Amino acid sequence: MDLDRLPYVVAGRLRSLFRRGRVERELDEELRYHLERQAEVYAARGMSPAAARSAALQAFGGVEFQKERARDARGVPWFDELSADVRYALRTFRRSPAFAAVAVATLALGIGATSAVFSLVDGILLKPLPFPEPERLVRLVQSWPEIGLERWGLSQTNAAVYHDRQKSFSSFAAFTVRTATLGGERPSQLNVTYATADFFGVLDVAPMVGRPFLPSEDVPGRNHVIILSYGLWQQRFGGDRKALGTSVSIDGFPATVIGVMRPGFAVGTQASDAWMPLGLDRNRPWGWFLAVIGRLRPGVTPDAAARETTDILWAATREDPVFVGRTQVPDARQHIRTIVTPLREALVGKVTRPLLVLQVAVALILLIAAANVATLLLGRGVSRSRELTLRIALGASRGRVVRQLLTETVVLALAGALIGLGLAAAGVRLLPHLPITSLPRVGEVHVDGRVLGFAILLSVVVGILFGLAPALHTHRLGLSSDLNEGPRGSARGPARRTHATLVVGQLALTVVLLIGAGLVLKTVQRLLGQDLGFRPEGITLVNLPLPRDRYEGSSPEVGARINAFTVELLDRVRRLPGVSRAAVAWGPPFWGSGRNGYRVEGHEVPAGAEGQTVTNAVSPGYFATMEIPLKRGRDFTAADRDSSALVVIVDQTLARRFWPDGDAIGRRIQMTGDTVWRTIVGLVGGVLDNTPSDPPIPHTYFPYSQEPGRFVNLEVRTSGDAAPTIAAIRRTVAAIEPQVPLDVVQPLTDTIRSSVSDLRLTEILLGGFALLALLLAAVGVYGVMNLAVAARRREFGIRLAIGAEPGTLLRLVLGQGLRLAAAGAVLGVAGAWVVTRWMRGLLYGVSTTDPVVFTALPLLLVAIAIASCAAPSLRAAGSDPLEALRVE
Amino acid sequence: MSKPADLVQGTLDLLVLKMLALEPMNGWDISQRLKQLSSDVLSVSDGSLYPALHKLEQQGWITSEWRPSENNRRAKFYALTRAGRRQLQVEADSWDRLASAITAVLRLREA
Repeated sequence: MDLDRLPYVVAGRLRSLFRRGRVERELDEELRYHLERQAEVYAARGMSPAAARSAALQAFGGVEFQKERARDARGVPWFDELSADVRYALRTFRRSPAFAAVAVATLALGIGATSAVFSLVDGILLKPLPFPEPERLVRLVQSWPEIGLERWGLSQTNAAVYHDRQKSFSSFAAFTVRTATLGGERPSQLNVTYATADFFGVLDVAPMVGRPFLPSEDVPGRNHVIILSYGLWQQRFGGDRKALGTSVSIDGFPATVIGVMRPGFAVGTQASDAWMPLGLDRNRPWGWFLAVIGRLRPGVTPDAAARETTDILWAATREDPVFVGRTQVPDARQHIRTIVTPLREALVGKVTRPLLVLQVAVALILLIAAANVATLLLGRGVSRSRELTLRIALGASRGRVVRQLLTETVVLALAGALIGLGLAAAGVRLLPHLPITSLPRVGEVHVDGRVLGFAILLSVVVGILFGLAPALHTHRLGLSSDLNEGPRGSARGPARRTHATLVVGQLALTVVLLIGAGLVLKTVQRLLGQDLGFRPEGITLVNLPLPRDRYEGSSPEVGARINAFTVELLDRVRRLPGVSRAAVAWGPPFWGSGRNGYRVEGHEVPAGAEGQTVTNAVSPGYFATMEIPLKRGRDFTAADRDSSALVVIVDQTLARRFWPDGDAIGRRIQMTGDTVWRTIVGLVGGVLDNTPSDPPIPHTYFPYSQEPGRFVNLEVRTSGDAAPTIAAIRRTVAAIEPQVPLDVVQPLTDTIRSSVSDLRLTEILLGGFALLALLLAAVGVYGVMNLAVAARRREFGIRLAIGAEPGTLLRLVLGQGLRLAAAGAVLGVAGAWVVTRWMRGLLYGVSTTDPVVFTALPLLLVAIAIASCAAPSLRAAGSDPLEALRVE
Repeated sequence: MSKPADLVQGTLDLLVLKMLALEPMNGWDISQRLKQLSSDVLSVSDGSLYPALHKLEQQGWITSEWRPSENNRRAKFYALTRAGRRQLQVEADSWDRLASAITAVLRLREA
């Protein structure tokens, strides 16, 4: 095409597209002009005006016809045909509003649910982290699998050494999150991230207002500055810029506000209320609590960074084994190393599998829902065959008719998507209010443009896919028999096969969903129903962090102060009405335990191969309060003090491991890092923790007086309503130490429940989806059986007329339904066998091919399917022979 | 052949292009001219002119504009584009070749 023509062609097409009204009017006017001139000529020859006009029309030769040809000549844009199809579709739906409503509602459910889960998957798994060049951000942890430390935090010495010697990172920072008390009239607890100076540099973000830390502030004793989160700034300071430069009291110490972060800034699950410099003390080799993030240099891979830092680790360990907490250099064959993973993976890795499982589940729902709509369409297709045959007879090509039908289904799907997206948006807004504590990046989950695009794409695909079923049957249209038959034309062989396939498919998918949900349900039941080894019901947990100014440190004076506080506290609390027992501890089970290596006297193990034990310090009466049975020996008493002999109580797991036949009492045990040996004076039952593992990890308990901790956890067993008791406790605490806030106050059962919260979320959602699928499948079966019965009305009528028993017909139809259900169930079980393999990581104590789940649930489905057949089969049996035989 | 020859669509295009090469015209003028010049031999049912015109315009050989015409009415006038002028030449040449070929065959003397 020569370029000369191009501008005219393009202009012409644009005009056809956007100025269609005007183009039409001009065509009209142009032809009218012609007709008028021609009429004038005839009138000049002597015809009457009316005669002249009709002669002109005749000479012209069919105005509308030529107009159509002129329009065709301009080239009808695909747009025209499409909008005609859409308008036609809308008119069709207006004529059968019930059908349209049901179809749209079904699709809305399916597409809405899928989009909602996709917004989770997109916001959490797919979207990159909201920092510049997020693919260079990594997380570093240490690892020593041989002693049970798969993932091991860093000590301050570790962090300092890596920071100084590494070359793989352009910036490197360590941090930890702790609670701190914000002082004032009403002290409150904050989540504070203590981070080294480079923290904001790694993420490449600056505070919205103010400045980040200076390296000079990341020094012990000089770290008295604080950056507020946006939420805290609004809450405590009303968003006033003059807050910058003022001083606040953190744990009793003053800190100057130097900045405020932008809203929504968070790394990981816990949103921090404030950031303070860590005050890195490179001479502190104990305490492995630091997390590390870093920004890789361009071109450096995480593996390369891991190799470099592992080399640094070993070099530093050889210089001084205290680097890894030992007195001797460990055997070089130990797999002590660093692990460097992309930050996003580290943050969301745990929820990847559950989220993907949910996405698949919800996609199955969508397929089932769409199959239902397809069945509905097939039902209508039978009654529309007349209309469509007419169109073909009038000259529409088959392709055009198919396009029309597909347009209808896509319009339905899009309408469903619109409503579904609205539902999804509402659901997503509810997310922060759900009791799921550990979904990372929840703040970044939105129903945004990407989700919208996904929903639209999905609707089009679903619409076309399931529109094909009825559309393909048009190849049989055009037979005059279709025109002659009444609206109750029979659904012939191929159509019935399609119905059957759809239903069997739906049932199979439903079985897969049911089994998946059943497995997760069983897991949660197992987790929650385990014998915990203690009785959580009735226990209220009160977390009391003591202020740093007088209670921090490990000196004997501080220890004495803490002990004085706890003794006074317990004394008063135990006398409160409603309190049956009380004790303090570092923490109850499921709170997040401390671990340490240990050695048992007489069972020496080489350095580096010590076992791990969960450690806790408890006051006398703890075991009685938690109802952990004391098996042998004694509980701690007031006589076990700071100054007396060091004692411990161990649990049965440890005792059985070392002294299966003998007595643990009197033996001695040493914690890694200690030089002293402690004597075992008591033996208690084992308890379950929030990290179920195999083999179970033993528990070791110290007396609180010998290992006091600043973070006091009060466990109170109340009888009756806990609320008044808690108020009384609050007053009691205030009377002893006014600056101590009651941090977390919750029933222990809630703590336990939230530890399985993500699994519970999966359970609830999967269970809901499975039920939904069941409902949809039941509706599908009902619909198809109805169609099948309606199609064979004549046949049934004849049979009854010849003398068949209604019971026979009933059995016939039920038999059909049973065959369908059985086929669906078998197919579903086979599918589930394959699919559930993938769920292995989610389950606990439940096999992926659990026989109970695999038999009970399919049977349930078959039963429900049969029930859905009840009404149609009764209808079949009740066919009126006369009515059925009447010729249409 | 007593009926006036029905024009094939392709040749109609050629004729329209030639007409417009002489001067810009509207549809009515073109149809009148054609009847005049060919003494009604080339008969075109009036209406079929317009699809041809629209097709030629859509292809970019001619362009149109509304101009005042008789009696305070306006009419759509068409004119050749530069590309149309070239196309006219191309089509005219090919018609010549066709006509010569046919004539050559017809001139064959019967044996």
